[in-house]
Amino acid sequence: MGHRPMMTFSFMVILPLLLHISITMVMKNILVRSLDQIPYELWIFPGIILIIASMSTFSMIYRDLFYLRIHKKSFLPMTLAPYTKTQFILGFLITSIVETSIYVIVAMAVLTVFLPTPFHISTYFIILIFTFLYTFIVGNIIITFSVVTDRISIYLFILLTMFLIILFGTGILVEFEFYPKTIGIILSNFPLSMFLSNLREVIFFNRIDWFQIFISIMVAISWTWVNGYLLKRKLNQ
Amino acid sequence: MEASITLKKVGKLIGDKTILASLTFGIERGSLVAIIGDNEAGKSMLLKVISGVENQEFGNVYINGLDLKKRRLSVISSIGFVSHEVDLDPWLTLEQNVRFMGLMYGVDIETLNTRMIQLARDFHIIPHLKRMVQDISPGILKKGMILRALIHDPDILIMDEPTAFMDAESYRQTWDFLLRLKGKKTMLYVSQTLSEVEEAHDRILVLEDGKITLDGSLDKLLGSTFDYHQFQIEFEELSDDLFQKLSNVPKVKNPSRIGNSIHFYGRERNVFFAVLNAATSSVMKDISVNKLGLQDLMDAKFARDGIH
Repeated sequence: MGHRPMMTFSFMVILPLLLHISITMVMKNILVRSLDQIPYELWIFPGIILIIASMSTFSMIYRDLFYLRIHKKSFLPMTLAPYTKTQFILGFLITSIVETSIYVIVAMAVLTVFLPTPFHISTYFIILIFTFLYTFIVGNIIITFSVVTDRISIYLFILLTMFLIILFGTGILVEFEFYPKTIGIILSNFPLSMFLSNLREVIFFNRIDWFQIFISIMVAISWTWVNGYLLKRKLNQ
Repeated sequence: MEASITLKKVGKLIGDKTILASLTFGIERGSLVAIIGDNEAGKSMLLKVISGVENQEFGNVYINGLDLKKRRLSVISSIGFVSHEVDLDPWLTLEQNVRFMGLMYGVDIETLNTRMIQLARDFHIIPHLKRMVQDISPGILKKGMILRALIHDPDILIMDEPTAFMDAESYRQTWDFLLRLKGKKTMLYVSQTLSEVEEAHDRILVLEDGKITLDGSLDKLLGSTFDYHQFQIEFEELSDDLFQKLSNVPKVKNPSRIGNSIHFYGRERNVFFAVLNAATSSVMKDISVNKLGLQDLMDAKFARDGIH
């Protein structure tokens, strides 16, 4: 019990290091700079942060919702507390946003050590705010699967597929211009891809697409409500 | 006395199968009610429907006069539910599990601490509070589950097999505590241990195929069986012919055999003597005569045949 916080903190430090070694250090030798001439270490920084946010969100929702539901551990007593199902979903999301934020803050601190020039302090805040929103959306996707899936094997298959899509299909590692033209256009219009490209626009060009952010927030709120409905149906409460 | 729980024509289906069939009854405030019945009789489902774990397809459940389905958020805090299987979070300590649920119900920290320690004392589980759930035996965890269900001080406590997995000492401690709550909280529980039900009851509901077949106090339920006795004779060797011969003795009810013993029911002692007469040529090892208990009442075949 006493070792748990220390182990978690060690993992928080080791995870960005591993990603830096296995992705950034390799890819920067191939791509060097983005098409907009931004050094690759800087260009991929927000992407690595979103990978960490995704991994953290996956594990939080698995731990707090899917595991407890499938193994019939404390989930049912929780649902008997006086809250609506949408409030429950919101609770899971807030928990994962808070924990993911801690992961992301530690990761940003660790990865900054390897940057040629650190970002301005405001950039870290912007990344953090985008991470909140990103976790809000990705968390909702995972919650949907956690509610509708009853088999662990299928659930893990979905999670792995989703992780691969996030890693290779949202422009985290390379720009969409490197993909075959049609595939690049399709992938760049995925909500998560648009989200990441919006984040990069803000960080590197100080351009912000408020409409897209508004749409993302509205989608996340609506999805939370839909998840609440799905949970209510699933539990028959 | 005022009803704490009222069911009106409550029906529950799973697929095409009827689990609860138009149940209508009320449970008085502060009473201790046991639900017994065979496997698949619908006992656990009845508890789930009353506690809000699952909605019924038909009818209404009223908790303190309010419809549970329509006014769920208003009434759900009045209920504490203990499921049959251990459902505590294995990655937390027992205390963290209880604390978490207390906070979910909005219990303030000071009250939560005081109540948790008091209840843990009552259940004799203070030394286990700081232990991880995965390292604690199921019997202790079951006491922890009752503690957790009581942490928000509900008016109604609903328990599915409250003493499952418990050793004799834990069983005594738990019932000692639950009986002290009698009159203060409405308690409804399911048990397969009929001796437990015989010891601690106000009222017993017997469920069969989703319907209540018997309802009343133990004395009332057994009242109609006072004339009946159960008889058992152990032979050195009980052949099929002998068993058949004894089974055919007039007024022998529901004969059955286990090894070399014959077991049957009879209204008059004359029946017993008639059986003894018929068996005089065989060597008998043991004889016993008992008044009927809940176990006999639960013998559905006999109940249909001889009592009601």
